[in-house]
Amino acid sequence: MKRREFIRKTGLTAGAALVAPYILPSGRLFAQTGSQIAPHVVMVMFAGGVRQQESVLQRYVEDSQNEPYPGNIMYNMLDGEAPTQKIVYGTGAGGINPIPQILNSSLQSQGTLFSEVTALSRGHYGGLNSLLQGSNAITQGLRQKPVNPTIFEFLRRHGGYSATDAWFIGNGINNSVPLLNYSIDPGYGASYGANFFAPNITFDGVCENFLGDARVYHPENELDPIYQMKYFLDNNFDNYASGLGNLGNTEDEKQQIKEFMTLMYDKTGNGTIAHPPISDSEDLRTVGYTCEVLKHFKPAMTVVNLDNVDACHSNFTEYTASLHRADHAVGHLWDYIQNEIPEMADNTIIIATPECGRNLEPNGILDANDWRSFDHSDENALRVFTMMAGPTIPQNLTIGGEGNPIGFTSDSMLTAAEILGVKNNVLNAGTLAPGTLSLFDRL
Amino acid sequence: MQVSKIISSVAIVLFIALSVSCKKKEEPLFILNNVELYPNSAAKTRVKSDEQWVAILHTNLFQSALSSNELFQIGECIASIGDKELVREIIISNFMNDGGVVMPTDEEMRADLPTFITDTYTRFLVRYPSVSEETWYTNYIETNPYITPELVYFSFALSNEYLYY
Repeated sequence: MKRREFIRKTGLTAGAALVAPYILPSGRLFAQTGSQIAPHVVMVMFAGGVRQQESVLQRYVEDSQNEPYPGNIMYNMLDGEAPTQKIVYGTGAGGINPIPQILNSSLQSQGTLFSEVTALSRGHYGGLNSLLQGSNAITQGLRQKPVNPTIFEFLRRHGGYSATDAWFIGNGINNSVPLLNYSIDPGYGASYGANFFAPNITFDGVCENFLGDARVYHPENELDPIYQMKYFLDNNFDNYASGLGNLGNTEDEKQQIKEFMTLMYDKTGNGTIAHPPISDSEDLRTVGYTCEVLKHFKPAMTVVNLDNVDACHSNFTEYTASLHRADHAVGHLWDYIQNEIPEMADNTIIIATPECGRNLEPNGILDANDWRSFDHSDENALRVFTMMAGPTIPQNLTIGGEGNPIGFTSDSMLTAAEILGVKNNVLNAGTLAPGTLSLFDRL
Repeated sequence: MQVSKIISSVAIVLFIALSVSCKKKEEPLFILNNVELYPNSAAKTRVKSDEQWVAILHTNLFQSALSSNELFQIGECIASIGDKELVREIIISNFMNDGGVVMPTDEEMRADLPTFITDTYTRFLVRYPSVSEETWYTNYIETNPYITPELVYFSFALSNEYLYY
């Protein structure tokens, strides 16, 4: 018995001696296990349900409305000629003025297009989760945090990234979007989560009334005592305070975020947010604020969610306008990174993937142009694409095609993990959907 | 003569016996002191919703309620920011900047620290401080000249216990 206890204690001591040196100052237990391909990833959840026929296949109203006018309405992302007739997706009365192209060459020519990718879900929430978790947990309900760890948590736990290194920017607070910045996985969770803004709400006039006039406290004479007294109270209550969802922003990071918010209220008031040239939709303004987040924090991982194309349930005309604007938003985002953020230019990889597609057949709803609308529930709703560009990404390469699907939407998450050096940690966690590969492994 | 003596003796004995035995017994009177009962911190196991938290905060600070419309709006603002501790801090500091917060002056606080500490605990945490808590706060405030009632209120509003009921 004594010998057994001796062996047990010796084992524990040896184990502790092995582990202790790896508790790094950043707070992570183990050093980053993989090398980075690039220091920054921007993932665009090109979401809302993008029909393959109007995006990659460039059929405009030819396929959907049986009118003989194909064309590319996403010319910042895709190569191809724009429609010449029946233009309703632009600006001005009736949307007759297409928005000018921002990028000199399309993202397709700057990078690699996986032109036929299989979505894991026909629904928005499952689709968004597949992009962030690399899986579509079937037990997961709406209004529920992700069940499996998100890319943010893998990065922060295993890669040692700070809270302000990981950002999730939502275009609203509906459809569980604010819940997606971390999971309920007991090994990960809030303390490894991403910072989140729904900037169209956070920085509007209403929230400015409640958040925009914060009293500034002296850091040493006032803030420090506040925190000391709070910590004293918390210490007397720590039995029940474990599930409060604090993201682990350091006090310096909190200060940075407060300064950023003050700046955003000023810039919103002055009309100087880095919005795209056209900013007449929530998606476009969301991307404008995303540019501001990128410029201010230079995060390692930024995910931005767009979803105005979901208007397609009842308004095909608005859907085409939103798709055109989502392309404009991505073009602006890439242009802004390359030209306005020197620290991120030429060392950022962008990945854009819709979370799901839309149906082949229309529903019964006609819009003002008598155009038919589309839901997302059939096999066609599993047809999407993935675009990526940036350093080390092969240029002007297209992989897969109609009738030759290659890859899954969950690949985008693992690809981001590989770019930022935590691919093996994600693989070892065993939470990925079957068949998921890094897109680098599909090149 | 003999008979009268006997009669008077018996009368005296009877008088004494009756006067003792018939004495009215006093009923005991029980009186309860008024004591305000508060839960202790261990009884707080449920997390307030964002709307509950901000509604109670506003009432604690301003002694008045937020309108339902303001409550809805501020709930959306909280939902639009990921770091809930950060947004709570910002909301408190905005409220503090409003000017209508009902609180004692610094002089009033320091003139009677035990009362201030007890009042603050009951106001925000709905319980009395323990002896150790009262001692800690007393020492902390006495030894730190920068502490004001506002900073103390801020720390209570930001505490984890304040998130529970």
